[in-house]
Amino acid sequence: MSSDSSFDGIRERARLGRYPIRGGGARRAVPAFDDLTFLTASASRYPLEGYREACATRTVLGAANARDPVVLEIPITIAGMSFGALSAPAKEALGRAASEVGTATTTGDGGMTPEERMSSKTLVYQCLPSRYGFNPDDLRAADAIEVVLGQGAKPGGGGMLMGQKLGPRVAAMRTLPEGIDQRSACRHPDWTGPDDLRIKIEELREATDWRVPVFVKIGATRVYHDVRLAATAGADVVVVDGMQGGTGATQDVFIEHTGIPTLAAVRLAADALADFPDVKLIVSGGVRSGADVAKALALGADAVSVGMAALVALGCNDTVHDFGPASYAELGTTAGGCTACHTGGCPVGIATQSPALQARLDPVRGAERVANYLRAITMETTMLARACGKADVHHLEPEDLVALTVEAAAMARVPLAGTEWIPGR
Amino acid sequence: MDIDLSVTSVRDANAALRALPAGASARLASPAGRHNLAVGLTEAITVEIDGTAGYYAGGLGRDATVLVRGTAGWGAGENLMSGLVRVDGDASQSLGSCAHGGTVVVHGSASLRAGISLKGGTVLVAGDVGDHCGFMAQAGTILIGGDAGRGLGDSLYEAVIYVAGKIRDLGADARIEELAEADVELVARLAKQHGFDHIDPENVTRVASARQLYHWGTP
Amino acid sequence: MCGITALQLRDADLRPRLGELMAAMMAQVAERGPDSAGITIYPDVRVLKGVGHPAALAAEWRLREMAGTQAVAHTRMATESAITAAHCHPFVVGDGLSLVHNGSFANHATIRRELLARGVPFDSDNDSEVAARFLAYRMAEGDGLEKALRLLCERFDGFYTLAVQTPDAFAVVRDVIACKPAIIAETAGWVAMASEYRALAVLPGIAAARVYEPEPEEVYLWTST
Ligand SMILES: Cc1cc2nc3c(=O)[nH]c(=O)nc-3n(C[C@H](O)[C@H](O)[C@H](O)COP(=O)(O)O)c2cc1C
Ligand code: SF4
Repeated sequence: MSSDSSFDGIRERARLGRYPIRGGGARRAVPAFDDLTFLTASASRYPLEGYREACATRTVLGAANARDPVVLEIPITIAGMSFGALSAPAKEALGRAASEVGTATTTGDGGMTPEERMSSKTLVYQCLPSRYGFNPDDLRAADAIEVVLGQGAKPGGGGMLMGQKLGPRVAAMRTLPEGIDQRSACRHPDWTGPDDLRIKIEELREATDWRVPVFVKIGATRVYHDVRLAATAGADVVVVDGMQGGTGATQDVFIEHTGIPTLAAVRLAADALADFPDVKLIVSGGVRSGADVAKALALGADAVSVGMAALVALGCNDTVHDFGPASYAELGTTAGGCTACHTGGCPVGIATQSPALQARLDPVRGAERVANYLRAITMETTMLARACGKADVHHLEPEDLVALTVEAAAMARVPLAGTEWIPGR
Repeated sequence: MDIDLSVTSVRDANAALRALPAGASARLASPAGRHNLAVGLTEAITVEIDGTAGYYAGGLGRDATVLVRGTAGWGAGENLMSGLVRVDGDASQSLGSCAHGGTVVVHGSASLRAGISLKGGTVLVAGDVGDHCGFMAQAGTILIGGDAGRGLGDSLYEAVIYVAGKIRDLGADARIEELAEADVELVARLAKQHGFDHIDPENVTRVASARQLYHWGTP
Repeated sequence: MCGITALQLRDADLRPRLGELMAAMMAQVAERGPDSAGITIYPDVRVLKGVGHPAALAAEWRLREMAGTQAVAHTRMATESAITAAHCHPFVVGDGLSLVHNGSFANHATIRRELLARGVPFDSDNDSEVAARFLAYRMAEGDGLEKALRLLCERFDGFYTLAVQTPDAFAVVRDVIACKPAIIAETAGWVAMASEYRALAVLPGIAAARVYEPEPEEVYLWTST
């Protein structure tokens, strides 16, 4: 009986007297893009040449309302990850990488650092319930605004940052006492609900002279309704983050037990936007590969965002650069098994505020790896699109996919492979 | 400059205000509760809103002075960085929410969540405030000339609240602290500056964080 | 999610203008609820509902020409149920009780089941209808409107600003957190409630009115004269 792994959770809670907190995404297996496969061209459809015939990836967001829409060269952006959860060199590296491949990166809870502004050609500025570090100057310096209602890892919950990571710079940016365990609000302080969000969005547009697009980010729960309401409230772009979505630090019970899988969320979100042709959809949560990108686009997304994948490319859990297994061991963790994001003891200088640890991350070399990764998965995306006969990745459609499991077929609403059966249809 | 909001859109009015140089002044007539008036100002101009403003009057401002002659809707002076937002009448919810600096003054009363998430600004209310005033306020000062509702100062960080009247009840982790000389001086200065003659600086209650929610002993 | 407007006329001279005043108020909160709208006009308990922009609907109904003693109206931004006339507020139930709601209940499904088990019928799957049916049920059991509203505060979880009218009364109540807007104005000639001040600004004599926000979980009730 004592070997039952569910008892470990009991022991942990008995010891702590509170809920466990961690970084990362849901660990449980949920139906995902991996459970789908493409029906690429053969006799009935004709493929495009992989290296010679063009396949467009450019994505334009917010053209309807904003004077300066966001133009992405690839349909993959870097998701909002806070300076605080991440080190300044990590933020800078992500900005450099995004700029190099012509895409956007996003701030996060706690505001905008000059390093990331300077290194990012296109920077999305988050407006979160906490409003830590939120100010009109950075607002006007941004290329888009993202009003965050929630995150896939914790829809309905607020952010948190453990004291170990609330160093002097982070604390000053958030106007918080150094070293405290920070808990953020779950609702915005000056509006609740889409009818009032509409007025808030208008304020943000006024304060930026209607220059930049406004995104609204939601954690995937009642996706159809929430996406429709975000669009009605005036969003140019709705960002839907599925339950697998990563986090810097969240209560384990939220990460594992709230929200719906990204796979199910994409279709619902696309349905909700059927009446809003100008509103674009970004999907995130568990996107790792070019295949994931292509499948998300086929199911209706205009672009995807990556969080944890970008961190892994940067060196998370890797033994690149100048440090090996010993760097992990001295922090009580192992390469490949590290989940210490919330503690600040990051062996590779990504999820830390310790000056000594963050010095381990070279933003230039890190950026190269992230840019390589983004280029590689863009190639994979176009490869699959071309094989489906598409001259633009946005021409992928649900009919290009079939499912390998009944669950995935039901959620993605594509037929089970080899059948015409879509469960529930 | 005079702008009549019954014939000019809020968008055009705000654009005209943002084009004004420091030292200029403008009057917005017929506001009739319109939202987002005089938001995002960046220069030291004075804007008089000649009536009742809707949501976020003077919000996201820097250096400007925004005077609301009537009452104000939700989030008046929200996220103010510096300057002044003054409301002659009552203010609705989330007054001065998240203000980093500057002063938000209400000569009437304010409803719920005044000074929520305050980040360094000063929020002054001559009359009463509703429930959850100062919720999660991080830094700055809140002075209430009248009574405070339920849950005052819930989950406060380092902001300090002074109440001249009665407090219905305190929120989680808020506590009443002894008044020091510096407190009396601060309250006296603020009261004098804004004409809150009814406040006796020696007789206010200081509410601040008990700091019990600061650490959970993690990880 | 939506815009609420409600008006009770004390001054008999204003009664021929009820429809005109309500149309003007509704136009001010149209952006809060662009999908559909509805209104009940008393004393005849005349209910008008439709899908479309509130201003277009008011014109279609010739609302401006209508007279009456009081009215309660709603412009709707549908949250979870469909955009049809059946899902429009006011929900009019029992002895001419009309309810409009801004917000979102959190435990209405359970209360609906309890009411269904007691034989209460429903017309829609809307969460706000549950509140209307709950009030009518309590009143059929003998409670007055004020008591029924207090019981509603005890039983319902979630966010709400409610405006309720019956042939004899007008009431307003909001939940304990009070995250949805509500503002009341009173003069000798009328009492009005709306989601935003803009809607009250169109009323005659507003400059001299007593304007205030309802306290959380407090029932405000005015009887008809
Ligand atoms: C370290 C870390 C910090 C994050 N910080 C924020 C944040 O500040 N604001 C936010 O909206 N989302 C935040 N997220 C969530 C991401 O924006 C994104 O939704 C998520 O990472 C997508 O899932 P993925 O990691 O599987 O790609 C964070 C995620 C991580 C991994
Ligand atoms: S290596 Fe760093 S970023 Fe990766 S899991 Fe460990 S602490 Fe987090």
